[in-house]
Amino acid sequence: MKVLLEQTGLEAERVRMFNLSSAMAEAFADAAKEMTKQITELGPSPLRTQTENE
Amino acid sequence: MIVAEQKPLDEVKTLIDGAQNVLVVGCGTCVTVCFAGGSREAAIMATSLRMASKLDGNPQAVTDATVQRQCEWEYLDQISEQVAEADIVLSLGCGIGVQALVEHYPDAWVVPGLNTSFMGLPTEQGVWAERCAACGDCILGLTGGICPIARCSKSLLNGPCGGSENGHCEIDPEVPCAWQLIYDRLSSAGKLDVLLELQPPKNWRTSRDGGPRKIIRDDLRLASEEA
Repeated sequence: MKVLLEQTGLEAERVRMFNLSSAMAEAFADAAKEMTKQITELGPSPLRTQTENE
Repeated sequence: MIVAEQKPLDEVKTLIDGAQNVLVVGCGTCVTVCFAGGSREAAIMATSLRMASKLDGNPQAVTDATVQRQCEWEYLDQISEQVAEADIVLSLGCGIGVQALVEHYPDAWVVPGLNTSFMGLPTEQGVWAERCAACGDCILGLTGGICPIARCSKSLLNGPCGGSENGHCEIDPEVPCAWQLIYDRLSSAGKLDVLLELQPPKNWRTSRDGGPRKIIRDDLRLASEEA
């Protein structure tokens, strides 16, 4: 999936898989925070920018 | 099965360059099983191309459809309307599927999204290996069920050659020597005497050496086609 995103023209860092069970609430929250921080640093998706410009 | 893998997206983008409407056609048989061109891969390919074309500033309308077998014309009838609407048809079938589409829809421009690799099997999850070269004159009965045509790098009939070392091929230490495999299998089965029997030269005319091949079964042909 990461390779496909890069070939498409998006940053591979926009997607990541975490293996979590339903009993790992804290790990889930940590993963969500981590991804939110990463996505925020990357900025808006170029695809979204394209859509807004149309 | 026929084993294939997807072309890089950049190559696919070049093949469909300039088209406004693109139809991605998946196949529900071999390339589904090897995760190269089934309905899931066709949908992902269509989405990727829509996204990529949008990022490139030249959005293309890309849709997808998957038929059970791209290599049989009756299944291709099911997508006639979608093919008629497309500027370019991107086939995620094997090379046979691409050509079946071309022959069935001569007015359509069909391009391949896969590189058809070989006939083989999955040896483990995510790994496929070649097993048959379709030589048209099977000798597996003489070689313990291990094919020297497909699995020996030189397709030797009198191996192993001098490049066999510790049971592996000189081209790659990860590649087993087919003739070592054949010898070991015949040896363990107590059938090494099979290798001592003189065999006539192999008839390569049944392989590609005889030109494009065709099988005609009169018992299966429709009466109207017999004339």
